[in-house]
Amino acid sequence: MTQKIVEHKDIARKTPIEIFPDPKIAIVLTYQHTGAQNAPIVSVGDTVAIGQKIADSKERISAPVHSPISGKVVKIGDIYNSCYEECSEAIYIENDGKKTKDKTLQPIAESELKNTANDVLLKRIREAGIIGMGGAGFPTHVKLSLPPDKPIKNLLVNASEGEPYDTADERLLIEKTANLLRGVRVICKILGNPQVTVATKVNKVEAIAKLNEVFGKEPNTKVVAKHLTYQQGDASLLQKAILGYETPPTKRSYEMGTIVQNVATINAIANAVFEGEPLISRVTTLNGEVAEPKNLLVKIGTPVSSILSHYQVSTTDLRQVVIGGVMMGHTIPTIEAPVTKRTSSIIVFSKSKYTPIKPTTACIHCSSCISSCPVSLHPILIYNAIMKGDLEKAQKLYLKDCIACGTCSYVCPSGIPLSGTICASRH
Amino acid sequence: MSKESSNDLVVKSAPHITGTMTKTRLMLYTFVALLIITVVTAVLWWPVTTPTEGQIAAFKLTNVWALPLGLIVLINAGIAVGISVGIDAALHKVTADSELNTMSAAVFGLIVTLSYSLGVPAMTTGSDVLPVASLSAPGAFFYVAVISLIGLVLFKKLAGLAGRKYVNPAATAKLIVLLPFIASIFLAKEHFASYTEGGLSLPLLAGPLGWGTAPNFLAIGNNGLASFATYLAGSYANPAVTTPVATPDNISSLLILTKFHGWTGGASSLAVIIVGIGLFVVARKYIKWRITLAYFLSIAVMSMIMSTVYADQDLLLRLLFEVFIGSSIFLGFFMATDPATTPFTGIGQIIFGVGLGVLTVVIQTYMNFFGGSLLALIIMNLTVPLIDRVGIHKPFGR
Repeated sequence: MTQKIVEHKDIARKTPIEIFPDPKIAIVLTYQHTGAQNAPIVSVGDTVAIGQKIADSKERISAPVHSPISGKVVKIGDIYNSCYEECSEAIYIENDGKKTKDKTLQPIAESELKNTANDVLLKRIREAGIIGMGGAGFPTHVKLSLPPDKPIKNLLVNASEGEPYDTADERLLIEKTANLLRGVRVICKILGNPQVTVATKVNKVEAIAKLNEVFGKEPNTKVVAKHLTYQQGDASLLQKAILGYETPPTKRSYEMGTIVQNVATINAIANAVFEGEPLISRVTTLNGEVAEPKNLLVKIGTPVSSILSHYQVSTTDLRQVVIGGVMMGHTIPTIEAPVTKRTSSIIVFSKSKYTPIKPTTACIHCSSCISSCPVSLHPILIYNAIMKGDLEKAQKLYLKDCIACGTCSYVCPSGIPLSGTICASRH
Repeated sequence: MSKESSNDLVVKSAPHITGTMTKTRLMLYTFVALLIITVVTAVLWWPVTTPTEGQIAAFKLTNVWALPLGLIVLINAGIAVGISVGIDAALHKVTADSELNTMSAAVFGLIVTLSYSLGVPAMTTGSDVLPVASLSAPGAFFYVAVISLIGLVLFKKLAGLAGRKYVNPAATAKLIVLLPFIASIFLAKEHFASYTEGGLSLPLLAGPLGWGTAPNFLAIGNNGLASFATYLAGSYANPAVTTPVATPDNISSLLILTKFHGWTGGASSLAVIIVGIGLFVVARKYIKWRITLAYFLSIAVMSMIMSTVYADQDLLLRLLFEVFIGSSIFLGFFMATDPATTPFTGIGQIIFGVGLGVLTVVIQTYMNFFGGSLLALIIMNLTVPLIDRVGIHKPFGR
């Protein structure tokens, strides 16, 4: 019995992707993935080209970052990082407008794919700095480098995009369908031709039509459109909904023979392999209390403030800016924070339209948080244990199994910050 | 969890949108549901004045007003809601710790009103029996006021401040206030101590129930002449317009459509069921419907067991009584589901409902305590911390 969340997608899902102008100054965070931190490999004063690697790490679980524009490194300093909700190191690049391109990554012809070694493809994915763009930020080449004794039976393409307001993936499904098929072929080559299931929601009508048209003739591939809830966009819950089994929280999905990939990540893989383009831009949705919702192909490192001012979003009336989805994403304290590889959306809320509806009051024991938890936890009991300082009890109630979907806080009639408190105490 | 940053942007933990259900809205829905039941009862009971002129004369009653029963219901509601909301507001004003919960207090007021028993049974003809004073005006007004006062202050506010409400406030206050009259109000035998038609004295459920044709089914409690069916008709029929007739149609219609004695909220079982299910639908996921379902199922099963054990002439008589008696039908929908005093988990709610149903039938049968659900509810409320411990379920994938 999971809770339905209002989607707010009607206009945004019909709005084609618009190319956002390159920023005058790009602020590229060196640490955008999950894993070991990167260090800059350029210095202030250096000239960099579009797609040039500017920060990297020698650790296995890492992914480099690249310059999204051509120009000069003018500063290396801290800026707010929406991936980690704290300030971290960034490389500031001043645009010289020359659009000179780095040619390190050469395109691989589609016809050559079957003759290309998996190692080459995995190295390409790593060198292109590709990470899970659905929000997790885990380096994709690590996820796809699997032990030989764990054969993969299924590739599950997560095209469910359940976060309210977000439509970036949905537009990719509509506008970049052929590119996504190329990306899927790359992953299939690496994984040894698993069964491909593209899982989407029945209300993504236009996307389903395009998917059926483009993926319909592909062998071992099916498009499944279901009534998925927002919560079923979670990799484990999606596997349950589409493939029918439950993955224990102690296991990774590859141990169950499945790899789940998000649409934006697959698009980036196709760009990296066939266009030689590292991950320097992404599609992000600008939505919320804005005059016109947008889906923008934006350079990573573009300050949020540039996007807001370009579309005349009043900064004096800004109340809250949410990066990466209103259910699971983070608020930013400053609009100077840049777009990252994980910025699937920028949702804006204004002061003028704000109506406080739910003050936090005492729990009335309605237990709706328990009955609506998609992973069958007891949020209020975990919350009570945390508030009493009894972390041991919270652990026993499987605190760590929380998927941070935010449903408990959403449904709570007493406005108790259940999800926020539980997530904060997991770290 | 939120703070204003230097340039005034709100920084807070996810999620950043919220559902539309609030405590006040949930209480408002419940209030409206209870108000509908109050109005339905008032309308159904308007034509009836109990005690009747005849009863007033027979009982030589001096302090009883002959008011329409429906009017008494509305006045009771006004008193209970007024006192509850008023005290809630007053406490909020004088003590900083007391949250202002107007809607919640109003709901409590209506629960007190609807769980209060009114109406003198049609067959009552004796002179020294029922506590007529509590069943009619103005005595009812006094007791409703005292129950509201004690329930709100002791069992809602003080218990809330102590950290948790352990027992249903309306049920506990009613039991405490009416405890001095326990024999006359709750114990069914006293209802009929001088029921002259048969001269019976013990209407026990721990015996065969029937229509009164075969020798064994003549008795209520094996020792009288009137049957259980006659007892039901005599208890619930409209004293103003009908002579109690124990026919299957009449008994079903009384118990399901309109009773003229007993819990105010149980006057029409059908109204309670329709409004109760309506509330479950409107406020779905916020009302513990599993308790109601488990309660009525276990009541039904227990009735059938008892029917078999005592070799009833007609299983339906016992079933109708146990399920549709006002204390059962109203409590099952609107008091057993009180969020604060019931278990958190789905399994716990089912255990709670089953326990409540079993206890209710046992209490009514063996303690001869009609309206035994009230005592059963308080007992089950006290087991909630325990049930919450056993009701914990495993998470996804474990």
